[in-house]
Amino acid sequence: MVIKQLYMAAFADFRRDKVRTGLTSLGITIGVLSVVLLIALGLGLKNYISQQFENMGANLIMIMPGSGFSSGTMGAGMIGSGMVEFDEKDARDLQKIPNLKYVVPLFFKSTVISSADAEKIGYIMAANEDLFPLLNVQAEYGEIWGKTEINKKSKVAVIGAIMAEDLFENPSDAIGKTVRVEGVRLKIIGVGKKIGDPEQDKALFIPYTTAYGSINPNKTFWSIYLGVPSKDMVPGVSEAAKEILLKRYDKDKFSVSEQSEILSTVDQIFGIINIVLIAIGSISLLVGGIGIMNIMYATVTERTREVGIRRAIGATKRDILLQFLSESTLLSVFGGLMGLLLATGIILLVRIWFPVALNVVAVIVAIGVSSAIGIFFGVSPAKKAANLSPIDAIRYE
Amino acid sequence: MKKTPSIISLSNISKEYVMGDESIFSALSEVNLEIHKGEYSAIVGPSGSGKSTLMHIIGLLDKPTRGKVIINGHDTARLDDDQTSKVRNQFVGFVFQQFNLLNKLTIKENVLLPVAYSREKLDFDPEKRALGLLEKFDILSKKDSYPNKISGGQQQRVAIARALIMNPQLILADEPTGNLDTKTGNEILKLFEDLNKEGITVLLVTHEPDIAARTNRQIKVLDGKIVEKYND
Repeated sequence: MVIKQLYMAAFADFRRDKVRTGLTSLGITIGVLSVVLLIALGLGLKNYISQQFENMGANLIMIMPGSGFSSGTMGAGMIGSGMVEFDEKDARDLQKIPNLKYVVPLFFKSTVISSADAEKIGYIMAANEDLFPLLNVQAEYGEIWGKTEINKKSKVAVIGAIMAEDLFENPSDAIGKTVRVEGVRLKIIGVGKKIGDPEQDKALFIPYTTAYGSINPNKTFWSIYLGVPSKDMVPGVSEAAKEILLKRYDKDKFSVSEQSEILSTVDQIFGIINIVLIAIGSISLLVGGIGIMNIMYATVTERTREVGIRRAIGATKRDILLQFLSESTLLSVFGGLMGLLLATGIILLVRIWFPVALNVVAVIVAIGVSSAIGIFFGVSPAKKAANLSPIDAIRYE
Repeated sequence: MKKTPSIISLSNISKEYVMGDESIFSALSEVNLEIHKGEYSAIVGPSGSGKSTLMHIIGLLDKPTRGKVIINGHDTARLDDDQTSKVRNQFVGFVFQQFNLLNKLTIKENVLLPVAYSREKLDFDPEKRALGLLEKFDILSKKDSYPNKISGGQQQRVAIARALIMNPQLILADEPTGNLDTKTGNEILKLFEDLNKEGITVLLVTHEPDIAARTNRQIKVLDGKIVEKYND
């Protein structure tokens, strides 16, 4: 029997019994749905985090306390006690490295920011004027501060878009207003464009000299960023920075990481997360497959007589095997497509809030896996049908 | 015996079943039988006599425990599943007591089903032939109906059309009138007689001596053996 005929026959069968077809495929639908959604979620997270790093510009070296990103302790204990805190001398020393575009020592703190009639938790980012190109911050309203304000220790600030909305309702109203942070009154001279990073959008950017005093009494920095004009200079500069810092600090007290390194670490972490997510999703695919096998066994029993009739009029074992296999495959591919369709819908919806991504590989894998499940879990029932003795089958009541 | 060549030749056929208590039940023992081209015969015997088993062995639906089934001079013991299926597809046409049509296929699709299992190029247009057979059996108007929507007599005609679609040399009919009333049964028997007149070999299996008497040769089976006469 031609394969096309088999599929058409199976398809006609399914149309006759829509409820059963739907329920049988449901397991695969849910399985594919969860696999595709989980992959989309994993990819979305990865893209989101990579984007955060890429926003900082490509040719960037980050100097942080602790052993940093590359050793795998990422995050944990980075701001713990006993960690290095950089100071202005470090920034000045690093400034001496040739081929540098800028050095940005950054003081970072979570704190309460208050306007005349509102109070919000936000972040202080105190640095020099190169902070703005570093973080891609541009003024939506007003202007950003520069060298002059640093030298004069001016009490000025550029405010993040969300913080401006939170404190002043209309962001453009923020210009010229005053906010209070840790007892310091700061005049807002600019509102940043919204860039989608919750920390930056809720930050107050101030000259690092202004922060000295009650905001940053120890005059320390939590990290130092080095901007390099081109990518091929990154390794040289990074080596030079290590040498300079080793004069003051122990090797394991600080880390110098290139952005590409961080990105590849992020990639690695999300690679693992994705595998775990796929594994979790695959459990439901497996359960769906077993559901199909179960139904196919029932179908074979229910249709024993049909098998006998077909054998009597000339169907070979192979014909019967293919007939049942094509049914189980069609069932699971149908389920898979349903799952994919649902997943696409959900992804398109969720996209409004979070950058989930549907990728081609996930789609191909979903279809491939569901047909593989149909074949794998269909083989055993189909073999059972094919191996029925024609005469016993035709007598079956 | 007629002088036409034999298309089926059974020699020393025995069929035994191992029962639940491991005793052996002998359904057929040492049966020898020749069926010649163009015959219209009946295998007749009471229920449990082994007549159906005999028919199943002739039609290669079942295998004998011992003995040879020779079809057109070829020993069928050596055939693999594909070849056996091909014999069932092309050489024999089965007609059953229960009609055995597939309820999810239309009448026309049922008649055409054996064509789907044929691997060879056909020397006829199957669609045309199917419609021709349905017309001949006076059920053309039902071609798009489903089997459970037509009468038993009509279903049996469809089954006969299906048995004929591949131009078989032999029709094996197992109690073809068993599920029909006398009048309809007679019509079906008349059909077989007509087909035989067209040259098709027809072998009926029946437990009714009256029906067997309408054929040209009665092969009497009792307790798994072919006998000359019943000792009723």
